Amino acid sequence: MTRFGSRSPVAVEEDSTATVAVPRKQFRPGPILVMIVILAVATGLRVWALGAIGLNSDEAVYAGQAASLAGDDTLSSLFPIFRAHPLLFQTVLSVGFLGGVSDVGARLLSVGFGLGTIIVVYLLGFRLYGRKAGLVAASILAVMPYHVIVTRQVLLDGPLTFFAVLTFYCVARFCLERSARWLYSAAAVLGLAVLTKEIAVILLLAVVAFFLLRHDVRVSARQILVGAGITLVIAAAYPVSLLFSGRIGTGQNYLLWQLFRRPNHSLAFYGVEMPAAVGPAVLVLAVGGLWFLRRQHSWRETLLLCWVLLPLGFFEVWPVKGYQYLLPAAPALVLLAARAITRTSFSWRHLRTALIAVVLLSLAVPSWLAVNPAPSATYLAGSGGVPAGREAGRWIKDNLPLGGNVMTLGPTMANLVRFYGNRKAYALSVSTNPLRRNPSYEPIDNPDRQLREGGFSYVVWDAYSASRTPFFSEQLMGYVEKYHGIALHTETLNISGVSTPVIIVYEVRP
Amino acid sequence: MIRCLLVAGLLVLGQPGTAVAGQQTTTPIEHFVVMMQSNHSFDSYFGTYPGADGIPADVCMPHSTDNLSADRCVKPFRLGDQSPSDLDHRPATQRAQYNDGKMNGFVEAFRKNGRDGTNTMGYYDGADLPYYWNIADRFTLFDKFFSSALTGSRLNHFYWVAGVPTPTGGEEVPPGGYGDIPTIFDRLRERGLPWKFYVEHYDPKGAGEATKVPLLNFQRFRNDPELASRIVDLSEYDRDLSAGTLPAVAYVVTSGSSENPPSRIQAGQSLVRNMTSELARSRYWSNSAFLLTYDGWGGFYDHVAPPKVDEHGYGFRVPALLMSAYSRRGHVDHTQVDYTSVLKFVEDNWKLAPLGSRDAASANLFSAFDFTSPPRPPELLDITRQPVVSTGRAWLVVYLSYAFALLAAATCVVVPIAVRRRNR
Repeated sequence: MTRFGSRSPVAVEEDSTATVAVPRKQFRPGPILVMIVILAVATGLRVWALGAIGLNSDEAVYAGQAASLAGDDTLSSLFPIFRAHPLLFQTVLSVGFLGGVSDVGARLLSVGFGLGTIIVVYLLGFRLYGRKAGLVAASILAVMPYHVIVTRQVLLDGPLTFFAVLTFYCVARFCLERSARWLYSAAAVLGLAVLTKEIAVILLLAVVAFFLLRHDVRVSARQILVGAGITLVIAAAYPVSLLFSGRIGTGQNYLLWQLFRRPNHSLAFYGVEMPAAVGPAVLVLAVGGLWFLRRQHSWRETLLLCWVLLPLGFFEVWPVKGYQYLLPAAPALVLLAARAITRTSFSWRHLRTALIAVVLLSLAVPSWLAVNPAPSATYLAGSGGVPAGREAGRWIKDNLPLGGNVMTLGPTMANLVRFYGNRKAYALSVSTNPLRRNPSYEPIDNPDRQLREGGFSYVVWDAYSASRTPFFSEQLMGYVEKYHGIALHTETLNISGVSTPVIIVYEVRP
Repeated sequence: MIRCLLVAGLLVLGQPGTAVAGQQTTTPIEHFVVMMQSNHSFDSYFGTYPGADGIPADVCMPHSTDNLSADRCVKPFRLGDQSPSDLDHRPATQRAQYNDGKMNGFVEAFRKNGRDGTNTMGYYDGADLPYYWNIADRFTLFDKFFSSALTGSRLNHFYWVAGVPTPTGGEEVPPGGYGDIPTIFDRLRERGLPWKFYVEHYDPKGAGEATKVPLLNFQRFRNDPELASRIVDLSEYDRDLSAGTLPAVAYVVTSGSSENPPSRIQAGQSLVRNMTSELARSRYWSNSAFLLTYDGWGGFYDHVAPPKVDEHGYGFRVPALLMSAYSRRGHVDHTQVDYTSVLKFVEDNWKLAPLGSRDAASANLFSAFDFTSPPRPPELLDITRQPVVSTGRAWLVVYLSYAFALLAAATCVVVPIAVRRRNR
C-alpha cells in the first residue's frame, strides 16, 4: 500500500497520537504534470460553451447583487444588495464587475473556485491517503458531472464546496500534526464558508461530530473555544453588515420562511438525482471501499463520513431541497472512492489502472453531455440556464420602453427579465400570502386590476415556468386574451426537429 | 398619362392626415401633441417640487391685506386626496388676488365675498401627483409658464389656438362666432399639414365643448365637412397611433378626465399616463413631443406676479410638462412662456407665419429640448411615486465587513504556515 505514498504523511502517522514528522519536500515533476493535465481537462469541461445558455434564476440574482455592490446604476434598482444569503461570493464577484457586468465573467469566477477545489482535494487526498489517492480524487472531481455542472454556474455552492474542502483539509492537518494552529485555520476557513452560504454551519456540526466520535483525536476545551470564537468573529461580517445597513430583518425573514415553508421536493429527490450526478461508480467505490477496507478504518474515514452524512441528513430533513445543495459533500465521496481504488489490492496489476479509467470515463461522458445539452424547454432548476431566457431578456432591453413593467409567469423569468432586460418584472405565481412566498419576491396584489390600470404593459410566458405551474400559465394566458395581447416576440428552440416556442413576449393594453 | 399620375400622387401626398411632415420641420419633432387641462396654478401642483420656483418657505396668506397679522393668515397646506370644490376664478377674484402685484390677496379675495378662502392655499405634492412628478423627474417641467390671459377659460383657449384675444376681449362669443380670425389650424391647412383636435367624449351635436374647443365657435370649422372632420373623439388618438396616422399637430381637451375642481386629479393623471404611454410604445416616440398645460390658475395660490405684456395678460402661472425623446432630462425650464409659445413652437418648427403679435414675440419652447443629442429611448413611467433607490452606504459596509473577514481568515491560515517555515 505504501509504495505509492512512501513519502506521504500517511507513512509517518500510523499512530494518531504521535507527533508527525513532516516529509522533506523534493521536486517530483510527475504528479505536477498529472495535476496539470487534470486541471486542463477540468478547465475544458467547465469553460466549454460556458456562455451558450444564459444565467438561470439564482445566477441572475447573485450576479445582480454583485452588480448592485459594484454600483451598476440600472441593476442596483432591480436587485437589492441584501436578499437571502451572505455576500462573500457576490462581494468578490462585484470587484470583477467594476469594469462591467458580464454573465460569462461571473461564471468564470465559479469555475475558478471549482478548479481551486480540485487542487485542495488533491492536497487533502495526498495528506490522508497518499499522492496517488490525491491524484485519483482530483481527477474524479475534475470530471464529475455534479461538480462540473454546478461550478459552471454563478451559484454559491461551488465556492462553498471550495471552503468546505479547505476546512476539512485544515482539520486533517490538525489530526496529523496536532498543532492547534491548523484547528484555528479550519475555524477561519469555516467562517468564510458560512459567509458564502449560511448553511455551512452544517459543516461545523460535522466537525464537532467527528471530534465527539474520535476519542483518539483529542481537542482541548480551550482549543474548541478559540476555534469557535474565530469562526464567529469571521462569520459576524454577515450580521454586522446587515445591522449597519439597517437590513437586519432580511436574513431573519428568509430563515423563518425556509424553516416553515412547504417542501419543494419529495424525500426521494436526492436518491433519484444524486447517483447520476455524482456517478454510480463513485458511490459504489466509496461504499464498497468502506466495507472491504473496514479493517483499515481510522479517523480519516470517520472524518469523511461525518462530512458526507451530516449534510445529507440535514437536507433530507430540511424542507428545501436543491440540486446543488449536496455538492459540499461530494469531495468526501470522491476521497472515499479514491481510497478504495488506491488501497485495494488487485491480483492483476493493470486492473487498478483499468478501474480508474472506467470510473473517469463513466463520469466524463455524462459531463460532456451535460455541457452540450440537447435543446429542452424544461431544465431542472439549478442544473442550467433557462433556454432562451437571456435572448428574450436582451430583446426586451433593446425593444421595450424603459420603465415598462413586465408580468411573468414565475419568479425565474422575472429575475431574467430584470437582469438581462433591465425592466421591473413581477411573477404571477408568487403568492400574496407572506407565509407561502420567498420573502425576496414581491407579489402582484391584484393582477387583473394592475393590467386594467396599465400597471403592466407587457406579459411574458415561458415554457419552463409553464411546465412547473400549469395553473398560472392558464391564468396568464387568460389575461393575455382579456387585455388584447399581441405577441411582440417569440423565442423558439428546435426540439427534436420541431421549432417550439419557449418564451413569448406579449404587449397588453386595457 | 405620366403627368396625370404625378399630379394624382401629389394630391394624395397633400391630403391632410397623411404623415408627410418628414422634411418639413426645423427640428426632429414631426408630431406635436398638446393637452389643455383645467384650473390649477403652478404652486398648487409643483409648489414643493425640488428645483422649481415654488412656494416660498415663510408664506402665510393674510385674511385681509389691510391687516397683515401673522395670526390671521393661512399657510399653504397639502390637500392630499381632497378635491376642493371649484374655486372662484372670475376677473374680480384674479384682481384681488393679484393685488397690484403684491400677490397677497388670495384668501382675502374669497373672504370679501363671504367665503372661507382657505382652500386657495391648498396644494398637492408628489404623493398626490405621482405621475406628473415622475414626468418632471424624467423630462421637463416649466416653472415660468403663464396663462395668456388674466382670466377666462374661453379667452385662454382662444389664445391657445389663435394667439390673439377673442373679438370681444372676454368670454362672450359674438353672434356670428369668431369670424375669419386665423388659427394655427388654418396655417397648418394652408401648408397641407395634417392636424386634429381630439376631444374626450366628443359629441359633434352638443354645444358643451365650445369653451374648450374654440374652433366650434367658428362657422368654417363647423360647416366645412373637411375641417369639421378634424375635430374628433379622443378615442381616435389610439387608433391614429397604431394606424400610423398621428397628425403633425394635435390638440387635446378633456371632459370626463378634467382636473377642474372638484373633479379628481387622479382621473386626469390616468388619462395623461395612458396617452403618453401609448405614445412611448408607438412608432412616433422618437419624433414627437407631448405637452401638458392648464387653461388657468383656477383660483389657487401662486406666488409669482405675472409680467404685464398687454391689457389681457399674462395671467398667473400654470403647470406645464413636456415629454419627448428630446426633452432635457429632469430639467426645470425657467424660460418665460405662455400658450402662444405653443403656437410659436408650431410656427417655428413647421415654418408658418405668426398669427399675431403675441406669438410672434413669444419664446418657442425650444429651450426645453436638446436637439443636439440623439433621441432618448421610450420610457413608461410609474403611476406611483417610487422612492429613489439608493444603496446608501450598504456597499461600503459590505466591502469593509467582508474585507475584514477575509483578512482575519487569511491571517489565521497564513500564520501557521509562516511559523512552521520559520521553525524549520
